[in-house]
Amino acid sequence: MENNIENRTITIKRTFDAPIELVWKAWTEAEHIVKWWGPKGMSTKIVAHEFKIGGKWKYIMRMPDGADFIAEGEYQHIDPPNKLKTNANFLPMTEGVTLEVLLVANENKTEFTFNVIHPTEEYKLQQEKMGFQNGWGSVFDRLAELLTKSEL
Amino acid sequence: MVQEPPQKEVVFLFPLVKCKQILTFYLYICKQTLTLYMSGRRDVFQAIADPTRREIINILSEEPMNLNSLADQFEISRPAISQQIKVLEECGLVVVSKQGRERYCQIQPASLIPAFMWIDQYRKLWEERIDSFEDYLMELKSKKKNGE
Repeated sequence: MENNIENRTITIKRTFDAPIELVWKAWTEAEHIVKWWGPKGMSTKIVAHEFKIGGKWKYIMRMPDGADFIAEGEYQHIDPPNKLKTNANFLPMTEGVTLEVLLVANENKTEFTFNVIHPTEEYKLQQEKMGFQNGWGSVFDRLAELLTKSEL
Repeated sequence: MVQEPPQKEVVFLFPLVKCKQILTFYLYICKQTLTLYMSGRRDVFQAIADPTRREIINILSEEPMNLNSLADQFEISRPAISQQIKVLEECGLVVVSKQGRERYCQIQPASLIPAFMWIDQYRKLWEERIDSFEDYLMELKSKKKNGE
């Protein structure tokens, strides 16, 4: 069954107060990527960064306990400084998504659109709000409370 | 009167988890998820995919309960509830202990952590990554300006 791309995509739009060339550079160059990719306090190591169509990229974030958290993919479309498309896996959580970055210059600002396209709507919903229902949120609050009381 | 600049809103994963704890929590989630995947157990998502099991988790998160009292709260039969408890037990979400003739059910909140991360947090994780990008971009921009 063909499913509508909108239903399986998470879109984030921003306006960045920076010229498009700088946004493109910060998003696509390895030396910059390591500075913002990982959650704060966690270092990102770039294992592969073949910046061409069909080129592979792979970033590893190392946990203090030695376990690795891996992000990897293959560039599908590169059109500087406006469009970048890559498939991506975030192991062990998310697999087979497509990331799309669209940049449009607006004087000295940049309109930024980020799409996370999932293979199916079902997968997106599973990733997004698995089992989420009314009242479910408060269960998590209670459990979070239990957890913060006990030592993690 | 001097107006304070608008403060950037800080969104916590959970209101109860303070800033310092977020990273520890995040790491723990990743570790927990890895362990779960590697162990090949029934997973937590399977457990919470069923509305009856969600309701059981909901009830047990308020207080531990014996199986009979738990079953009394449902329309469906006691053996059916017992079966759902068994699934939750296999997923590591519930521990059942025998006390005399009673079977006493208790929730294991830590096992639900992988689910915490996905439920309603998924989009937030992307938003946070974009926030981090924007912060870095602004840093880069001001560096460039100062360099000129």
